[in-house]
Amino acid sequence: MAAVYKSLSKSAKKVEDAEENNNNTTTNGGFRKNKQRVLILSSRGVTYRHRHLLNDLAAMLPHGRKDVKFDSKSKLYQLNELAELYNCNNVMFFEARKGKDLYMWFSKVPNGPTVKFHAQNLHTMEELHFTGNCLKGSRPLLSFDLAFEQEPHYRVIKEVFLQMFGVPQGARKSKPFIDHVMSFSIADGKIWVRNYEIREVEKAKGEKDSEGNDIVPESDKSSSKKRKGAPNAELKDTDVSLVEIGPRFVLTPIIIQEGAFGGPIIYENKRFISPNQVRSELRKAKATRHNARVEQVKERLGKLETLTAQAKKEKDVLDTRELFA
Amino acid sequence: MEVEEEQKGEETTTQTKADEQKPEQQEEAGSDSEEGSDDEEDNDLDLDALDESDSDSEFERDLNEKQSAAGIQANKYQKAAEESSDEEEDEDEIDIDELDVDGEEGEEVKAISKARQTINNKQGLLTALKRFALDTTDKVPFAFHQSIVAKKVTEESIPSIDDDLARELAFMNQALEAARVGRTLLRKEGVPFTRPTDYFAETLRSDETMEKVKAKLIEEATAKKASAEARKQRDLKKFGKQVQVAKQQERAKQKRDTLEKINLLKKKRKDGGGPTGANEAEDLFDVAVDNELKGGPSGNNKKRGRDGKEGGGPNAKRQRKDAKFGFGGKKKYAKSNDALSSGDVSGFSARKMKSGGPAGGKPKKFKPAPRPGKARRKAGAGKR
Repeated sequence: MAAVYKSLSKSAKKVEDAEENNNNTTTNGGFRKNKQRVLILSSRGVTYRHRHLLNDLAAMLPHGRKDVKFDSKSKLYQLNELAELYNCNNVMFFEARKGKDLYMWFSKVPNGPTVKFHAQNLHTMEELHFTGNCLKGSRPLLSFDLAFEQEPHYRVIKEVFLQMFGVPQGARKSKPFIDHVMSFSIADGKIWVRNYEIREVEKAKGEKDSEGNDIVPESDKSSSKKRKGAPNAELKDTDVSLVEIGPRFVLTPIIIQEGAFGGPIIYENKRFISPNQVRSELRKAKATRHNARVEQVKERLGKLETLTAQAKKEKDVLDTRELFA
Repeated sequence: MEVEEEQKGEETTTQTKADEQKPEQQEEAGSDSEEGSDDEEDNDLDLDALDESDSDSEFERDLNEKQSAAGIQANKYQKAAEESSDEEEDEDEIDIDELDVDGEEGEEVKAISKARQTINNKQGLLTALKRFALDTTDKVPFAFHQSIVAKKVTEESIPSIDDDLARELAFMNQALEAARVGRTLLRKEGVPFTRPTDYFAETLRSDETMEKVKAKLIEEATAKKASAEARKQRDLKKFGKQVQVAKQQERAKQKRDTLEKINLLKKKRKDGGGPTGANEAEDLFDVAVDNELKGGPSGNNKKRGRDGKEGGGPNAKRQRKDAKFGFGGKKKYAKSNDALSSGDVSGFSARKMKSGGPAGGKPKKFKPAPRPGKARRKAGAGKR
């Protein structure tokens, strides 16, 4: 079957290969147009914090479509149909377990892959009292750690993030200016997600970095054809500074599946320990303390018993009680 | 199939790599000799997971076939996908890591020290990546994807993951660099970057939230200020004792100076006016001193003389009582007679003596009736 298929696909036209190997891009001029739509939804049993985080993320993604809570935790493949219904090719699914643990599924819908994360250290925009703010729906710059290029599974995760969090050019509700950065860093085997506002500040006198020198000729030659000639010239001596906006969260990758909510597992994180195990370990550690105490008591009682038994058994003829009874 | 063989080779190499990377896991695992026996256990362990993935892979294959019918999937990707699904069906292909030595299946397995069997199908991952990746090379404009990969690994600049400040700083530096690079690139492409000041639109965080943030900031600032103020006050209190002592000393000195001045003036007066100065003159003088000292007229010379200190003295009632009953000096024999008082006969009057009243010339208010005559007395007796 496979051999037949291979031979068939070999004979398929090479043109198609060049034209489209990706279902979510279409040719437009020189390059493919990036079309992304994200279905954002949660399972039942999310806490308020999970819900707020979901709202924050939904607010940041103008190409997102928020849906009602999904009722099932086992039949996740149903999400594929749901996404198709809403014309979404990405699904961001928040799965809450035990009313405290949050798992985030990021899936490219028709063909996969699917990445499952365990989300920790959630802090929503509202509870973090940061002073940063940005336009709703402006396209973020996505900043990735170099570590994302070093391992295949991180590369997959990076691509998923790029397509989910990157607002596609010309998205319906997106704003034309760029005023925030989303940064993804890997530390301690986890992915740390942060969101910063870009503020342009006056550059300090005497400070001249490569960028400043870079812009001058650029603005000179581009001012005639580019529409933002004048502001460019005026902006050349500003520097950028960052102010955090929020939310903050940390993702631990657990598995990567080849399909969308299904298919073979192509990566599994060895270092991931489920929160249930962590909790049970804690409980066990606590239990051992009690067990040790109980053991001690038992030992003491046993000793006492043997001693009394000995005392009863050994009635010597020359014992005082025997002699003078 | 020879492809599978290749795959197998690949897998073993990845496994050894993984082993090298995780020496600490190896230590926990103990001797490698038991690995073979553990492998068999693992196969059992993995069965249910594979069952799940099996059914899913069929679903996946259905999808693949659909795509091939549509002719959209490139043959090489298809092949790779096929490989990976084939390979999944083979249990031997799974990358198996070492288990805990005393890890009897399902019991006494320590969760943290347990090295789980893991899958890291690099080939499959790369294939999957190729299948859905966007083109982010230099051929497409930067504005298409707006993603920047940092030049260095962020984790290297984090000394300890528990050090919040250093960690956040590292993240921020990564983002800052990305923002700089991104801005340059976007400007090069002529994409508007900075929001003009007259461009108003809905922001990510609502005005109420920002108001709250502002209120919080203000509150923090005022709290800080108040605490600083309180600390200052506390320090002052410690220092205040010394200040008080100094003030008292100053007051005492002032008093002493005043007294000296008075004494000096009195002495001067005595020297100049002589001891036989009239009462009137003394009064006048005292008033002058008083005026000089206090800047106001004062009535009672006698009292000041008695006090010897300040004007004013005790309250009015006390003064009156003192005047009436006397204050200070010897009380004993104050009312007893002496030579002078015995010799004093100024209060004696012969007439008053004759009239039978008390001495002192007081007029008689009550005179007993004189003795009646004999006849009256007799008559009276008869009546009785």
